[in-house]
Amino acid sequence: MKNIIIGSSAAGISAAETLRREDPTCEIIMISDEPNPLYSRPLISYYLAGELPEERIYYRPPDFYERNRIEAHLGRRAVRVEPRANRVILDNGEELEYDNLLLANGASPTFPEIEGLDKAGVFGFRRLSDAKEMLAMLPQVKEAVVLGGGLVGLKAAVGLKARGVDVTVAVGSPHLLSQMVDARAGEIYRALLEEHGIKVATGMEPAKILGDGRVTGVLMESGEELPAQLVVVGKGVRANLEPVEGTEVQYDYGVIIDEHCRTNIPNIYAAGDVAQSYDVVRGRHWTNALWPCAVEQGRVAALNMAGKEAVYRGSMGMNSVQFFDLPVISAGLAGLRERDFDSELIDQPGPRIYKRLVLRGDRLVGFILVGEIENAGIIRSLVERGVSVAELKDRLLRESFGFSEIMPLIEGRGERFPEREYQELIETMRLMS
Amino acid sequence: MERIFCDLRRCLACGACELACAVEHSSSKDLFQAVLEGEAPVRRREVQPAPWGNLSLACHHCESAPCIDACITGAMHREEGVVLVDQERCVGCWMCVMACPFGAITPSKLKVALKCDLCPEREGKEGRERYACVAACPTEALFAGEFAEFKRLLEEEVVRY
Repeated sequence: MKNIIIGSSAAGISAAETLRREDPTCEIIMISDEPNPLYSRPLISYYLAGELPEERIYYRPPDFYERNRIEAHLGRRAVRVEPRANRVILDNGEELEYDNLLLANGASPTFPEIEGLDKAGVFGFRRLSDAKEMLAMLPQVKEAVVLGGGLVGLKAAVGLKARGVDVTVAVGSPHLLSQMVDARAGEIYRALLEEHGIKVATGMEPAKILGDGRVTGVLMESGEELPAQLVVVGKGVRANLEPVEGTEVQYDYGVIIDEHCRTNIPNIYAAGDVAQSYDVVRGRHWTNALWPCAVEQGRVAALNMAGKEAVYRGSMGMNSVQFFDLPVISAGLAGLRERDFDSELIDQPGPRIYKRLVLRGDRLVGFILVGEIENAGIIRSLVERGVSVAELKDRLLRESFGFSEIMPLIEGRGERFPEREYQELIETMRLMS
Repeated sequence: MERIFCDLRRCLACGACELACAVEHSSSKDLFQAVLEGEAPVRRREVQPAPWGNLSLACHHCESAPCIDACITGAMHREEGVVLVDQERCVGCWMCVMACPFGAITPSKLKVALKCDLCPEREGKEGRERYACVAACPTEALFAGEFAEFKRLLEEEVVRY
């Protein structure tokens, strides 16, 4: 069996390791347009900030390909997939044939449609090469503008600030982290960043990047000019659809996958940021470009590629980050613009502690925990399983809340908790009663 | 693989397991020494009230562990069935805290995720002494072994407190 995996990050690595474990003799070919793709993408901000040296951001050892007997095509881009011919074409014209194909080729930063993006000193913040080029430029950088106040933008801002750069974050939305949290939590982070010397300007869209060959500043739509020798664009990502555009492979914002992480073509699978999977909270397909989803989708796709039936329950939005000393975890319908809920429960016991539960009927559909995150995983599992929390919801935000309080709920809805660990607990409860 | 289970009926919530766990994971492995050295040992096990009695809860070392999937550094990994954190590699992003459905991972102040590691330094000890929490439990509510053996324990009648 000949398997080709396009992409060598979270989803690709997870798939390759699964394939090798399940089938010691199959052929595995991996294609990546990065020369050394085995680093962890979310860690480039730690590298930029100087918190981790380069060798600490690697997710797998350099002998990963040899050890797993993988034929690696690195620094090569897959430009086209030909589903009828079962063939992938690379940017150097090389043609590779497959029995099974996994699209794990990720996403790329979205750039606004403004003039001047081609100037030296304008970056997306996605690849190790972005971080390296930014670091190489730092001696000439006094001021930086980060366009976008999402996770990527803020991580870049904090990293640059740690390097002594004067940073302004310019955000189109009225609040920071608007995809991940609501206005209240966004304001907590604005205050936190400002306390640490990062300037935040909300409701500000860029009109033009200024400078000759090199960036000298950003002209905002308001007419204001922000001086900068470095600009980071953190305006979200878009699935890398190029290889499948115009083919029979079905895509929307991402490549559509079913519960086997398979596309509409039986021997083509997709996983990670390029894929659009069933979102268990939204009840429809959605792109959740997140590390944990990529790893799980990669594994499920690989199991099916190896002929072992495996089912993917679906994805949901979720994220965790800590800026300075303040952690936040959110999941489900937690962002500023989410409206598809009936009620919310809010607790704000201190200036830097904020908890919000979002409900549709008696079902949890999202939450935000700022400052006190210990119970995030328990609450997230309730969102994921879609069970009624009617009898429990008033206790969920208490500091004393713990897993034991959801045991009766698990006992009553065993079919929603099929994993061995839950089933053992259910049996334990039955035997004790 | 041997795991630790809790008979909720037998657990008195005395907290001996929590303390023993914290001490086992302190550098001196001695409560008074640890306190004198200014170290605040962190427990990886917590006792919680439950309808059947009390639950002494720690990492379940899940068969399919969502914390391992969620880890962006590879710090969370499995060795012979045991789910472990490589503290050198952990950066404190708390993706594992977000993933764990049992709330069994502690985000520590040192920006390192802490969880049950099944007492690697007690390897070689026999019976109840093998794990600090099990050894400390005065009512034998904590049990180390296979689930099938634990079930037999649950079938015994116990005196309700």
